[in-house]
Amino acid sequence: MTALAWTVFVPELFLLGAALLIFLLDSLGILRDRRVELFGGLATVAIVVALVGVLADLRFAPLASLATVPAGVVNAPWTLLGGSLVAVTSFGLVFQAIFLTSALLVSLASLSHPSDQKGAAIFFGLLLIATLGMTLAAFSADLIFLLLSIEITGISTYLLVGYTRRDPRGLEAAMKMYIIGALSAALSFFGASLLFSVYGTTSLATLGGPILYNTHFPPPLLGATSIALLGYGFLVVGIGFKVTVVPFHAWAVDVYDGAPSDVSAFLAGGSKKVGLFGYFLVFLVPILLSGRAPPGLPPIPVGFHVLIVHFGLPLQVVFGVMAVVTMTVGNVLALQQTEMKRMLAYSSISQAGYMLIGLAVATSPAVAGAVLLIFAHIFMKAGAFIVVGAVAGLGVGSRITDWKGVGLRFPFLGASFAVMLLSLAGIPLTVGFVAKFVLFSAAVQAQGWFVWLAVAGLLNSALSVFYYARVLRVMYMEKGEAVVVPIPAGAVAGGSDPPLLGVGGIGYGRAAAIGVAVAIIFAFGVYPQPVLASFQMAVNHLLQVL
Amino acid sequence: MILEVLAFFVLAITAAVTALAALLVRELVHTIIWVAAFFVSLAGFYFLVSAPFLGALQLGVYAGAVTILLLFGVMVTRKRIFAHEAATGLGPAPVALALLIVVVLATAASTISSSTNQVYGFTISALSTALFNQYGAWLLLLGLVMLPALAGAIYLVREGRE
Amino acid sequence: MTGLPLAGFLALSAVLLGIGIFGILTRRNFILLLIAIEVAMNSAILNFVVFGAYWGGVPGYGIEGQSVAVVLIGLAATEVAVGLAIVLALNRLRGSINVAEATVLKL
Repeated sequence: MTALAWTVFVPELFLLGAALLIFLLDSLGILRDRRVELFGGLATVAIVVALVGVLADLRFAPLASLATVPAGVVNAPWTLLGGSLVAVTSFGLVFQAIFLTSALLVSLASLSHPSDQKGAAIFFGLLLIATLGMTLAAFSADLIFLLLSIEITGISTYLLVGYTRRDPRGLEAAMKMYIIGALSAALSFFGASLLFSVYGTTSLATLGGPILYNTHFPPPLLGATSIALLGYGFLVVGIGFKVTVVPFHAWAVDVYDGAPSDVSAFLAGGSKKVGLFGYFLVFLVPILLSGRAPPGLPPIPVGFHVLIVHFGLPLQVVFGVMAVVTMTVGNVLALQQTEMKRMLAYSSISQAGYMLIGLAVATSPAVAGAVLLIFAHIFMKAGAFIVVGAVAGLGVGSRITDWKGVGLRFPFLGASFAVMLLSLAGIPLTVGFVAKFVLFSAAVQAQGWFVWLAVAGLLNSALSVFYYARVLRVMYMEKGEAVVVPIPAGAVAGGSDPPLLGVGGIGYGRAAAIGVAVAIIFAFGVYPQPVLASFQMAVNHLLQVL
Repeated sequence: MILEVLAFFVLAITAAVTALAALLVRELVHTIIWVAAFFVSLAGFYFLVSAPFLGALQLGVYAGAVTILLLFGVMVTRKRIFAHEAATGLGPAPVALALLIVVVLATAASTISSSTNQVYGFTISALSTALFNQYGAWLLLLGLVMLPALAGAIYLVREGRE
Repeated sequence: MTGLPLAGFLALSAVLLGIGIFGILTRRNFILLLIAIEVAMNSAILNFVVFGAYWGGVPGYGIEGQSVAVVLIGLAATEVAVGLAIVLALNRLRGSINVAEATVLKL
């Protein structure tokens, strides 16, 4: 156990400091008519600084001199910080970089909101705090720490969904998300309490491993295993709501649809990923630890007995089934949607199914492939929602058929959207293809029934091409004027997306965010080695401990 | 000892009945009374397992603050809330699901041997030492949960002057 | 202090969780939904307190459970406050807080 300095938390301190500064400046009423530029600029700068710090901690070459974490820690599997609640892992740092990237994309795009937008302070402040919760979750070595960090993100995102305050759709979506989120928290904590009752601790390294018992606390074999399994079951359900796994997905479609587009981008690209990270952190240990004593286990006291439990296979089967069901249901329902945002929401659900393959297979390449897909999903899905926000801001309706000729009328937006959809479908030369290729080939390499997961993934990818292609056809092939919904003065068009100004009507920030997303989709689609190698290394570090 | 077991069963039945009553009665104000009774009965459990600080906290935060908040919510939204039937019909599926969860968990619970189950209390100083040292990070995170809650809640309910 | 039935506590928390989930699935009034969620949350807190007390017999164990319970009580109160803020904002906008009347999006 190495005691590390507080400097590990410097990136998080920047996020927190910027959020507090934004709330302070807002209450002072400084620069009222340029508040989006002020608060958005502050938020963007803070996120960039935090991202630089995290990349430096990961020993990203040009920035390595800025690192605040000693090199030995990043290369080591599991370094506990201070007590036993916080651990620095390169796996966690990689996820921090992913979370910060998604927040950066959203905050960049949101700079294009009208300068005097009401609620700008609360939007950027809550965005920063939600990001802070996600980055803290990446430090967790303890189940309660993880769930509380997820809860920070949860509370911030419920309020973020309803931040427009005058829009009944947004508030209704916030209410639904709140109910589901509170339910998911209650179920997760109940699962944690069951695990605590068996293990006597909530440390993630101990959970899932051998069960210690003595005569003071007598959980006989059958009782202890069944209660622990039930605890894991409740955690699967509780965190599953955050990951939008079928059958816990129904809320996500309504919320993504009802929320402002930029918030939907953050939900799909960012806050959903923290649930996936939780899945990996909580369940990789019991899946891989079955029957082995972890190195971190304290010496067994006299008078204690050890119960070795094999949770691995049941959990793998559960995740495998969930992966196949989630991707299939998501894709089939996406085929039937007529609203653009609902289609994207279902597509997001099906992508979560692909990511779960990594957890079911649980080998190092599979997990790395899933992480790459999670990374890629930011640019594809958050980017797509940002484009939808831009197109709605230009006055195009929210139905897919309203998008007739959008590709020709707005060449930049149309081409970007096409690239994102092709990447979601997994067409070669895009990062979506690379991620799926790595993930599915890892599943095939793992042999056994995992091959069927890869087959299901491939079939589903083929299925998904249909609805992505339908959108492309509407955008480029179908003749006729795009349906333009007139924007009433002072009101908002296309749900709650404010009308925008700037380059081609979409604003500099939004254009920059879309451009960056497209560039990254191509760059890592053609040359994924650097990012894939660093994900692979991080996963290897994590799995070494198991 | 017999007295404690008796107290356990009385409190258990009270808790289950009040929780159910809170969700089933028609008038929302009555619901608040039932839910307050439910919180108090849980506080009784905490005193029973010699965790007096938790008991006091449960009384102060739940039976006190949360109940008042709920009552406040009922009063502010009263105009419409009494006009509508609060409950919808009892479909068979939710009851079945709830029963399934109870049965599965109770089956697991019944496998625990009923031999000597001893409880051990902690002094308040031991609890606070653990809470502020070993588990201090949880309190920090709780503070960070409250920050967006406070900022967002104030923003949402403030009468917009802008 | 001996003799309290450990299995009984677990069964009770199971019953409370069942009641909470039943409430979440059947009630459509937001305040009742809040209460149902609180009942479910309380079953988790009860588990943590009781099993913390039982684990107290093992040196170094047990106090974690009661520490979690303290934090969770605070968390649950925060959640109620946020829920009420959302519902008040919605109530002001629409004059109703029945979830079933959420017409724009269906639950």
